[in-house]
Amino acid sequence: MKNIYKILKISALTLFALITAQTTTFAQEEATADSTVQEQPSNKPVRPAFESPLLFDAATTTLFPSKTLEFVLQHRFGVIDTKDDNYDMAGIWGAANIRLGLNYSILDNLTVGVGTTKFNKMEDLQLKYRIIEQTRSNSIPVTVVLYEVVGIDGSPQSKWDGTPESSASKSYKFSNRMSYYTQLIVSRRFNDQLSLQVGGAFTHYNCVDSVYNHDRISLSFAGRYKFSPQLAFIVSGDFPLDITSIKDYKKVADENTVIYDKPNLCVGLEIATSSHAFHVYAGSAQGILPQEVTMWNKNDFFHGGVLIGLNITRLWNF
Amino acid sequence: MKSSIKLFALICTMIAFVATNVAMAQKAGGPWTVPANYKQKKSTVKAGDPSINSVGKDLYNKNCKSCHGAKGLGDGPKAAGLKTSTGDFSSAKFQANTDGDIYYMSFVGRDEMPNFEKKITDEADRWAVVGYIRTLKK
Repeated sequence: MKNIYKILKISALTLFALITAQTTTFAQEEATADSTVQEQPSNKPVRPAFESPLLFDAATTTLFPSKTLEFVLQHRFGVIDTKDDNYDMAGIWGAANIRLGLNYSILDNLTVGVGTTKFNKMEDLQLKYRIIEQTRSNSIPVTVVLYEVVGIDGSPQSKWDGTPESSASKSYKFSNRMSYYTQLIVSRRFNDQLSLQVGGAFTHYNCVDSVYNHDRISLSFAGRYKFSPQLAFIVSGDFPLDITSIKDYKKVADENTVIYDKPNLCVGLEIATSSHAFHVYAGSAQGILPQEVTMWNKNDFFHGGVLIGLNITRLWNF
Repeated sequence: MKSSIKLFALICTMIAFVATNVAMAQKAGGPWTVPANYKQKKSTVKAGDPSINSVGKDLYNKNCKSCHGAKGLGDGPKAAGLKTSTGDFSSAKFQANTDGDIYYMSFVGRDEMPNFEKKITDEADRWAVVGYIRTLKK
């Protein structure tokens, strides 16, 4: 719990630093604008808050125009383990998690996607729908997006029912493999450099081990500060909440039970071109799908639970 | 005999080298056929508008610089891999095009010059890019 406060404190300081830097930029822009013609705000939508629909493993409020196909490659190395007896190089030789995904914009405000992830052989279906869009005149101050991810665990059936002879096999259903992540994201593009977003999410797994809970509510934030047309500093955090009323397993876990309640914090750089986005970052959760990140993260960013991640996206327009 | 074989091999290598380079040499782009409705388009962004050096410059650097170069000289890192020369935006010949011509060439495109209508969707943003290309004049 102390760690969560520590993370929140660092996040608040980061946001404060960004806003302070932004105020300075505002002052400079005003000085420039005084000597030239002012750009009149209109009711047109603002330019996208983020360069890519993806920020680390989180969804942003950015959607591409209709008939855009996006290929996504997400890669996370193993945890950087500093123990002397571990023969590894910053997690690069460790077990990595990888996701390949395709997203297609059906409408300007509706994108669907499919993907496959190495860990747990997760297959996923995704949907992102923009409900409202921030305008330049500020008549609508934020963009609001609904994001849904349906995960299907592709592990062998024995993960749920043990050996085929066991009595539990009779209770196996395909629906045991399903997990759901539903998120409402609110973003604001403050200016050409700074964009921030916050989100609230509900995660549900149809089937979990007996000592874990099926549901979890989480809060998240993400931010971007652009240094140049192509380079930006990016940060995000996902914070699982400890809400007793939605727990279905209320006993105190014994010492052998792994506790998955750590927030996922990511800090990195984004390079965006007209057809690509590249992320290189340090993060804590090794899951890639948001329900995996929210539900099953045991890595503490501040206590050796950091790993290196990379994302690459490619766009095609039709 | 050995010398003849060596000479023959050398000549073959030279022919292959020259043939490859001739094949890879960039050709100048032919004249553009710009439809009348584009040719007569008028920019909605006036010269000196602040969006030219903010939005226009940013979008140029993100979308155009890799081929056309930072100053529009056609010397971007990807330019050498193209079959057609990207031209020189700073030249008087290029700058003699109408704003509508530049708009069509930049956003509708042809052959190796991709269509950017889905990448830069806002009309004012497109004109800001055209405005920025105008500032590259020598």
